[in-house]
Amino acid sequence: MVPTLKGRWLTRILLFLWIGVPITFLFSLYVAGPRSPILPYIGWHYDILPFQILSLILLVGLVMDPVYFYAQQYRWERDWPFAYFFFFSIVEFVIVLALVWWGVLDFTRPRSQLHTSENYLLFTFHFGCVFLLSFIAVLGLIQIFMIRWRFKSGEWGRM
Amino acid sequence: MIRFPILLDIYQRGDGPLKRVERISLPEVGDYSIGRASENQIVLDTPEVSKRHAWLLLREDGIAVADRGSTNHTYIGDTEVDQSPWDGALPVRIAQFEIHLVAQSAIGETRVNVPQDNATRAFASGSAGAPAAVPRGQSIEVALNAPNAPDEMRFPRNVFKSEIVSSAEIKASEYFAGESTYLSVGAGLGSFVWADHLRIFGVSKSEIRAIGDDVIPYANYQRLCRNSQIPPHERLRSNSQSTPDNIWGFPGYASRETWKDLKEFRFGGLKHIFQVFGEASLAQTFTPRSGEVFKSIDSEAQRIGWREMFVSGRVLGIRKTNDERYAVAYRVPEDQARGGVRERIMIGKFIHISTGYPATRFTEDLQAFKARFPEEARVFNAYENHEVVYRSIEQNPMPATVVVRGRGIVASRIIQRLYEARNKNKNITIVHQMRNPIAKNEGYRYKRAQRYVYNHIENQAFNWPKACWGGQLLRETERATPEERVKIYEALGGTTTADRRDWRNIIQLGIGDGWYKPVFGHFETLELVKTDQGPKIQMRLKPQRNQPPVEVVADYALDCTGLIGDISHSPLLRDLAETYKLLRTLGVGGGKPGGISVTPDFEIAGLRNGSGRAYAAGQITLGGPQPGVDTFLGMQYSALRSVDHMAVLGAPNVSLFGPLRSFSQWIKWCTNTKP
Repeated sequence: MVPTLKGRWLTRILLFLWIGVPITFLFSLYVAGPRSPILPYIGWHYDILPFQILSLILLVGLVMDPVYFYAQQYRWERDWPFAYFFFFSIVEFVIVLALVWWGVLDFTRPRSQLHTSENYLLFTFHFGCVFLLSFIAVLGLIQIFMIRWRFKSGEWGRM
Repeated sequence: MIRFPILLDIYQRGDGPLKRVERISLPEVGDYSIGRASENQIVLDTPEVSKRHAWLLLREDGIAVADRGSTNHTYIGDTEVDQSPWDGALPVRIAQFEIHLVAQSAIGETRVNVPQDNATRAFASGSAGAPAAVPRGQSIEVALNAPNAPDEMRFPRNVFKSEIVSSAEIKASEYFAGESTYLSVGAGLGSFVWADHLRIFGVSKSEIRAIGDDVIPYANYQRLCRNSQIPPHERLRSNSQSTPDNIWGFPGYASRETWKDLKEFRFGGLKHIFQVFGEASLAQTFTPRSGEVFKSIDSEAQRIGWREMFVSGRVLGIRKTNDERYAVAYRVPEDQARGGVRERIMIGKFIHISTGYPATRFTEDLQAFKARFPEEARVFNAYENHEVVYRSIEQNPMPATVVVRGRGIVASRIIQRLYEARNKNKNITIVHQMRNPIAKNEGYRYKRAQRYVYNHIENQAFNWPKACWGGQLLRETERATPEERVKIYEALGGTTTADRRDWRNIIQLGIGDGWYKPVFGHFETLELVKTDQGPKIQMRLKPQRNQPPVEVVADYALDCTGLIGDISHSPLLRDLAETYKLLRTLGVGGGKPGGISVTPDFEIAGLRNGSGRAYAAGQITLGGPQPGVDTFLGMQYSALRSVDHMAVLGAPNVSLFGPLRSFSQWIKWCTNTKP
């Protein structure tokens, strides 16, 4: 990958919309118990918690991107190997876990309901699914649909 | 001194009197080959002429003629010559042809006052700096069946009388060969990738034509690969996702190779996937085998119907027409002549020019040596066939020294080949000649990053940093002014080789065992010397930094300094640039202009003709908005840009290619279904 800063942000938002949101929706249905609110019109139960985690992952990523872009300036090729993408995605998730542990989501529900080992396991599994598909998308799935993406430093749109 | 261009008239003796068949104009200093084979620059196509008959050596201070061991010899007037200066007083005679120097005021001063036997040597030292050339491809062709007409009536000048030609007149003429909406000139890889995009974007094959020498789009590229010692199983310097057979770049060559290996239960193939995953930092960069790339192109050519779009011929000229189109004049091979007429003109609405490198570079001293000792096959350009070198040093167990000149990727590969030859003859020594040493910390810098140096050679995976094909660096070059661009290109380009572990090991082994030796310096003299082991070449180098001069005695010298990109070596492009006063890019290193200037959409702005459009691709656009134009990925990029541009203009049947069409076409690619 040879992304620019704008390209990094846009690719991240693209993956959030295409892969993150649909998978998270499935998780939110799974997490929901009888206690949760009802999705209007359809009548499904859902829980907002997976979306909160996904949004945190997106936010941490958007904040980290300028750091990666700066580091890229010291690479002669101005590239970002897939291995780096892989490694730093996990780093980002660890930061998200630390933030949750520290209490950024404590305003959303009682601590006793949030900080359970069951929840942390769920976050990890949720992240694992989103990450795996996103990584496959970056390896080649995106360019099957968006032929110009690879020449546009990760940005969307026409040439 | 000689004033360029030099005009030569070529006459032919038939049954009757001499007839002038061609007037040719030679633009600059260079070595022009004469012979029957089509790779010569001046083709005299009769059986009496040898395939490689003679050299015409043009220098600032004079002209010389050198016979190349031809069967029927070369004459100046009635005197048979091996090599001799030529003042033009008497014609050069080759078989039934006579070459006359056209008298002009400057030509009268071309008498060369040098001793006969030292002639070419004097030329060599007198014209440093100008690269000698053996142009190829777009050659000046003097065909046996040229019509016996006055000069200005000869094809295509008889039709192309003005900058804008009448389409109706062409259609009424005997040359008219049809119309095509999309017409590509060159029919090499650049044309192929462009046609591939058009087909996948929705254009039918009947609307596309590509005119060129060979129906195999990679024929020329493959020849250069083979000569520079990249047989099918060796790897190219290209990335996994640079796929001329697949416009999406997915699946790349790495996953295809892995898949192939896994199907045969070779789990080692998984390493290619890991290479792409960790490339540059954790693993050596993956590069595909040349044979696999060619096979993949064959299969895609079959799928898109390339054979039906291909037109065999050599393009001679291009003109705008009065109905907002373009007329492309070409000459077809002899077997396709129609009542003796080989000349054709095809009309196109959207044309695309991708003719590739006009010539092979040959450094002056080696070229002069070749001309002085034509029978001594001792110096070669790495891009020409030089199998004789390997054959001779492998079969003969005598000590042999080979000079490898240059520090690029070709030099690395040639050294690897010579290392392999050492398995058969342990007495082979490699002398690697480079201009100057480069210390570890002396690699090129661009902004915050610096290039890595190993063994006095700068290392880089491909010929440009990766971000030049769609990253931050491409952004910077696209936005830069021409002057800024030259500065960026100077910092990013230059000669580099790939960081391959096997190549490093060879160098280390060679230095340790003493059979590889780097030498540094500018060439001073090159002589043929007689030794106990027979004749050898003796090379003197003037080193930098107060070092003593270096003297090398060797059996062979291989010039790995590359190909010539200067488009003035191509008569077709020179004519086009002069006729329409096309803008040229600024050449790197200052001085000479570079390629044809194109917009970021790869349009040649100066050729716009109403609603007609002309695009260019490949090496001839060097120095423009995109750095890596002469690469697979560069051609994919330029094809996508120009086809996208046409889509927005509303060109017939070119879709906007959104995500759904892209996906459905990709499925067709995967299932090998016609687009």
